[in-house]
Amino acid sequence: MDRRAFVRLLAAAPLASSLKDTPAPPVGAASPEPGLPPEPLPKLRIVSPYAGVAAPGMPGPWPGRVVAVKSDRCVDTVTSAADDAVVREMMARGMCALTGEKTPLAAWRRFIEPSDHVGIKVNCGGHPWCVSAYEIVAEIVRQTGAVGVPPTQVYVYERFQNQLDEVNYAPRLPEGVQIVAAETANRHADNRGYDPATYVEADLFGEEDTRSNMMRLCSQRLTKIINVPNMKDHGATGATGCLKNIAYGSFSNVARTHHHGKSHTYSFVGTLASVEPLRSRTVLQIMDGLRGVWHGGPFARTRRYVFYPKQILFGTDPVAIDRLLLDIIDDKRKAEGAISIYDRSPKYLKTDNGPARDADPNVNIIIREPGHVEYAARLGLGVADKAKIKVEDVRV
Amino acid sequence: MSLLLWLAALPCLVWTQGVDGAPSLKAAGIERVCVPSDQAPAWRQAGLTAVPMGEADLTLREAAAAPGIRARADRASATRSPWINANGWRFLRAPAGLYLYDLPAGKAALAAAEAYAYGVDAALKIEPADVESLGRMLGFLAALPSPATALPDVADFAVVDDASATMGEVLNLFVRRNLLFRIVPAESTQFRLSVRLGSPEYPQTAAADPGALALKVRRALGDEARSLRIFGSEVVIARLLADGTHARVHLLNYGGRDLEGVRVRIRGSYPAGVASVAGQGQMALDEHVVADGATEFTVPRLGAYGVVDLPAPK
Repeated sequence: MDRRAFVRLLAAAPLASSLKDTPAPPVGAASPEPGLPPEPLPKLRIVSPYAGVAAPGMPGPWPGRVVAVKSDRCVDTVTSAADDAVVREMMARGMCALTGEKTPLAAWRRFIEPSDHVGIKVNCGGHPWCVSAYEIVAEIVRQTGAVGVPPTQVYVYERFQNQLDEVNYAPRLPEGVQIVAAETANRHADNRGYDPATYVEADLFGEEDTRSNMMRLCSQRLTKIINVPNMKDHGATGATGCLKNIAYGSFSNVARTHHHGKSHTYSFVGTLASVEPLRSRTVLQIMDGLRGVWHGGPFARTRRYVFYPKQILFGTDPVAIDRLLLDIIDDKRKAEGAISIYDRSPKYLKTDNGPARDADPNVNIIIREPGHVEYAARLGLGVADKAKIKVEDVRV
Repeated sequence: MSLLLWLAALPCLVWTQGVDGAPSLKAAGIERVCVPSDQAPAWRQAGLTAVPMGEADLTLREAAAAPGIRARADRASATRSPWINANGWRFLRAPAGLYLYDLPAGKAALAAAEAYAYGVDAALKIEPADVESLGRMLGFLAALPSPATALPDVADFAVVDDASATMGEVLNLFVRRNLLFRIVPAESTQFRLSVRLGSPEYPQTAAADPGALALKVRRALGDEARSLRIFGSEVVIARLLADGTHARVHLLNYGGRDLEGVRVRIRGSYPAGVASVAGQGQMALDEHVVADGATEFTVPRLGAYGVVDLPAPK
């Protein structure tokens, strides 16, 4: 391998442990910052019987640190197929770079113990063109196995079974790995997979069901969670990465947050991610950027808006990774002549008109809230200040 | 409502086809039919309870809408807050009224349950294909444990009903949002909130958007203070009856598909009760919790209709 590793310090300022003193976000107050929602934020109430821990998984031991492993050979842009060997090498190099360990096994042992029940939060919403890559998921399972976790203690999970069925990870994984969903489909009809005692309550649009409950799998079974989001545009949040994948992918009744052109995702995404025990147990972020979606996300029903960042991002800080993601998506959109994810102009808004949005990258159906990343930082989930994010690039 | 009236509230199948169909109706579990007067004796001879009801009688009945959900893009999201056709407001407004459902296929069982839940006298015209599902529902309703005493409605606020169509739609939205009210002749100090269209708080113009008016009332009440909340669905309408001895919760699922894990919250400290669910039978309630002056429990599975009975509060 032609390895070129270097550290790119995005700012001279030291990686401040500024999170301790970060004031609580102004719940219910208008944000004074430009580009953020002008209206008072909704009142969100967290109910959880689980106590936090001294060193929660998010932001974990490396706040503000991201390892970006890139390879021109990781995916064939004609067929969209990934190269398994290259991906495995990227995974090995990324984990070693993140942890400073010499071997992948040692790196994985920093996060996982043989007794753990390990959840792998995949993203299947971009089927068929952009989902958590089989190769990455399989490599995670392989490495947890090397650590000593039996396959039966590994859970690949999503909220909706129909999406997992479409993607069909099982043939790529060892026998015994559990593929788990909370609901059969996105119909708001199956609640048995959710924990009635652990939820965020909010009245956003006058909906009757004001609770978003955490998956039982997360609260009652898993001891560690590895988050494997994609690099995707999102009509309500601006981009969907670590934060939204772990938050909206682990709680019920979240589609209610964006409706008729308006999105409450600004504060809701980070708040969900901060709920215990999800925050403590999510110990590793592996962002699959082999493929990406620059418009129309989180879906990828056609290849029209698919692109190929050809990279995987590693870290324990979901905010830092997502802050980079915002730029990746916005830069790609600019390169394609599309409006910025930060554009709040009503002239681009065609409320609820999905077909218009799919046909034209200069159409929004909701005002996006990329500020959700910065809000999550204020909740202590990571570092959003780009000047304080340290990126280590690794070339494979 | 008296107990006798309660028991008599089982809806009646309107059947205009000949008595030849009696065996198939009986096989489906239907024991009571509303038939033209001249056919009643033959039906009785065939072993069914026949209620004489001619066309003239039917036209005197108030029409009830076919219950269920439908997509109305201008009014509600298909996936988040579907548009619900429900008759609870109509029944609460005129509980002694006589009602007639004229139902398309697939609606008979829910309609029967809805009429039963509100204890009204309803006749059902159905598609013949629904005979079996209606029979199963009627059998379920007949087998439900009878309350020892008639239970009063629980209400969180009062409504002065001016009998207008506008107010009818407001009542409809109250019911659909599970806002429990009692119709009173004049604003009442018995309740901490009274709604009268034309009052300073609720001017007539507010009724132009009944959904917004319902939301205003809900927020004035405060969700924590509401006697009843439903979580895990936007398509379940509940009716709560209670006195000092016990409580009964009627759960009507308008969504057309079974729901898993409907969470119910009721003000008050109730011991664990039992659910009777159409198509499922009796089942224990899951994850019963009493905290902060309220009782919560999960109904494991809910078809078109279920009843939860809770013993006397602690």
